[in-house]
Amino acid sequence: MERFPAKGEMVLSPALKELLESDSGALLRERLPDRIVGTIGESGLIGSAELAFYQGAEGLAPHIDSGRIARIDGYGTPNTTSERSDPVLLLLILVLFVVLLMPVAVFIAAAVRFGGERRDRRLAALRLVGSDSGMTRRIAAGEALAGAMLGLVFGAGFFMVGRQLAGTAEVFRISVFPSYLNPSPLLALLVAVAVPTAAVLVTLLALRGVVIEPLGVVRSGRPPRRRLWWRLLLPLAGLAMLYPMIGNGRENGDFNQYLVTGGVVLLLVGVTALLPWIVETVVARLGAGGVAWQLAVRRLQMSSGTAARMVNGIAVAVAGAIALQMLFAGAEEEYTRSTGQDVAWAQMEVTLPNAVPPAPAAERLRDTKGVNEVYDYSEGHLGDRARDPEATTTVTVGGCTALREIADLPSCAEGDVFAVHGAEWDSGVDVAKLAAPGRKLYLDPSYEGTPKSLEIPWTVPQGVKAAKPRHGLLAGIDRGGILITPKAVPDTLAPALEGHAYLRLDESVPDVHDRVRNTVAAVDPLANAVTWAETERSGRFDAIRTGLFVGAACVLALIGASLLVSQLEQLRERRRLLSALVAFGTRRRTLSLSVLWQTAIPVALGLLLASVVGLTLGTVLLKMTGTPVRVDWTGVLAMAGIGGAVVLAVTLLSLPPLLRLMRPEGLRTE
Amino acid sequence: MTPPAGSLLSAEQLRKAYGPTLALDGAEFSIHPGEVVAVMGPSGSGKSTLLHCLAGIVTPDSGTIMYGGRELSAMSDAERSALRRSEFGFVFQFGQLVPELTCVENVALPLRLNGTSRKEAERAALTWMERLEVDDLRKKRPGEVSGGQGQRVAVARSLVTNPRVLFADEPTGALDSLNGERVMELLTDAASSTNAAVVLVTHEARVAAYSDREIVVRDGRSRDMERVV
Repeated sequence: MERFPAKGEMVLSPALKELLESDSGALLRERLPDRIVGTIGESGLIGSAELAFYQGAEGLAPHIDSGRIARIDGYGTPNTTSERSDPVLLLLILVLFVVLLMPVAVFIAAAVRFGGERRDRRLAALRLVGSDSGMTRRIAAGEALAGAMLGLVFGAGFFMVGRQLAGTAEVFRISVFPSYLNPSPLLALLVAVAVPTAAVLVTLLALRGVVIEPLGVVRSGRPPRRRLWWRLLLPLAGLAMLYPMIGNGRENGDFNQYLVTGGVVLLLVGVTALLPWIVETVVARLGAGGVAWQLAVRRLQMSSGTAARMVNGIAVAVAGAIALQMLFAGAEEEYTRSTGQDVAWAQMEVTLPNAVPPAPAAERLRDTKGVNEVYDYSEGHLGDRARDPEATTTVTVGGCTALREIADLPSCAEGDVFAVHGAEWDSGVDVAKLAAPGRKLYLDPSYEGTPKSLEIPWTVPQGVKAAKPRHGLLAGIDRGGILITPKAVPDTLAPALEGHAYLRLDESVPDVHDRVRNTVAAVDPLANAVTWAETERSGRFDAIRTGLFVGAACVLALIGASLLVSQLEQLRERRRLLSALVAFGTRRRTLSLSVLWQTAIPVALGLLLASVVGLTLGTVLLKMTGTPVRVDWTGVLAMAGIGGAVVLAVTLLSLPPLLRLMRPEGLRTE
Repeated sequence: MTPPAGSLLSAEQLRKAYGPTLALDGAEFSIHPGEVVAVMGPSGSGKSTLLHCLAGIVTPDSGTIMYGGRELSAMSDAERSALRRSEFGFVFQFGQLVPELTCVENVALPLRLNGTSRKEAERAALTWMERLEVDDLRKKRPGEVSGGQGQRVAVARSLVTNPRVLFADEPTGALDSLNGERVMELLTDAASSTNAAVVLVTHEARVAAYSDREIVVRDGRSRDMERVV
């Protein structure tokens, strides 16, 4: 901020400014009517889409440290929380990173093999003009290297463009400024070295089984039958690495980061090793059905490796996601706690600053569109002594209607005082003894080591009636203490009482929560309106879960794109054949269906394997955290469904080019 | 239009342009059952386009094509596809066999597309492979056979449905002369045994020699060379 806003002025984040200037910000504008005098800079925000404002005010100093107003003397020191060292959350983060990064690595390995057949034809032409076998391989490696370098240059370009665009996007409430996307030079160097190296190695590996001969002939040497034993070693080694940590549990769960990461990586790499074997073994046994099926199966039998490579990325992502889903479902209970708020009773709660009378505020809330009923109370804290009280309880001030909502009253009239006995709220406190007529109690007592409170004396009047608690309407437990109707409250108590209003809403009214917030802001800018929820979850747990969804969405989009490229590549290479097939009368439907089968068979096998590996990994992770193993079948099906949907989408997207490639133009040779 | 008397397939005033290039400019054609007609001409003269139009693969911009009393250009894509499946056969220069299917499966494919059972289709395919002397290749894939053998497999495939018209576009273009002649002998013999008409696109005089009649296409126009030959 360039300067502090004066009273009647405010400084906004760019996103909030945009919102207030848009039509959808109309309601919010009522709450923030001040003159806009500036914009909060990037260093004062946590993301480009953050909605934040600084509003000028006067007379705040006396209220500092009252719980509502705090002095900010600096930024940038994050609060440390106890969750930081939670081993389960650490485990979640480690697995999350592995699960999200592994498919990307698999994708890169598959991507460098795009265009393989065309390259082989090109290399055959080079053999014709005298290139020997070694030279041909070196040329192929050089091509891969050049391609990878070019890819890195383009990648850097796309990154720079994407970095700028990232500032305008918000995904699952996460937004960033371009300057946040600032990779460490070491990691950037690692990528710059690893990508070309991987491209060259994978190319040389792919050429291992290919005999390139002159005269344009490229013959694949019959690939050796895939062996199972070494492929099984990878997941087994992964399990062996994770095994020592089983039963470490939550409390003493000092998980070795390297073993966890290594174990999960090996298990997931196991998917990429096992899948080609499974696809080869299964498709070799598939019988011939209709023409579409036969074309697809024969194609897969001929080159099952290509199909398995296409699916590897999806399978790894789904296996990891299933395991994480299980771990999340298992850990969710631990990180979710009940708020005790009964949303059937009220849907919003308004807290007013001390000394703001709740009754007029309640009146204004009642007039708000969408508010059906308002129960207003003033609450305070009573002690038997002015300082360091031995016995304390709450005092609740409200009209008879409102008090009847929170306790069973024998009868009620203005001027009555009640003592609620046996409430869970007051465990260990004898309210009857505390509320003995004539006894002097102190509202807002002080405690040792804290600043002096108001310590307002109040004498319990005669004729206190006994009342019974009503279960769990406020804060989930029986409310107890002393209940007083407004007429029985002397004016002197007002400064120590905090106003609350509980609202029943007609939630079908659009923007009802915002309308309430507007009314509350008009009553007092320091008043607070909260929407009730039955449960609340740990913020860090939620952040990790959100990270999973964001990451999984990005990874699946990336893999989907790679699948599409690979699919189109294959189709283009078969352009002449497709045209010839259509020329002699093959239905386009038959060919489209054959493409679908060709993708669906390896995908089904990949998802099956992914489910088995995912469930195994999930079980191991749950056992590591000492959480009872429970399979969340909905999650498994959802993850497999998402994987399947990506493939279906890829098939659908490849249909228009497929139909184009089936045109007779493919037959033209001149 | 009245097709020439007794003709099975005929075309009149065919025009077809690919962008600014005029491939056919008033081409004419007719063929009788059992007749072998060679369509000749230099590269880019429009002979393949004429074949594609006659076979219903490509729709001409104007002109009429009559087959068995029906106008081809008035048929829907599905009707033309069905016609190609059941009554026409095709042999192209290369790239026509499905590489992942065995040779017998390739030959049986048109029958299977017509709904014939796999067993029956492969039995019929084997009969044709024997006639074309390639039955020993039945379990091999196209990538495992020579160019001449592959072309004979393709001829077997084009004839397996007993087509009334066989379209051959440079069927020997990728073969040496010995193999080319053998393929042409087998193709014309097999076609004549089923009384199939053969539309043979070629630019080689020795291949055209297997025809009863020649048509020369130049700059998109056709000229009947019957009397010259």
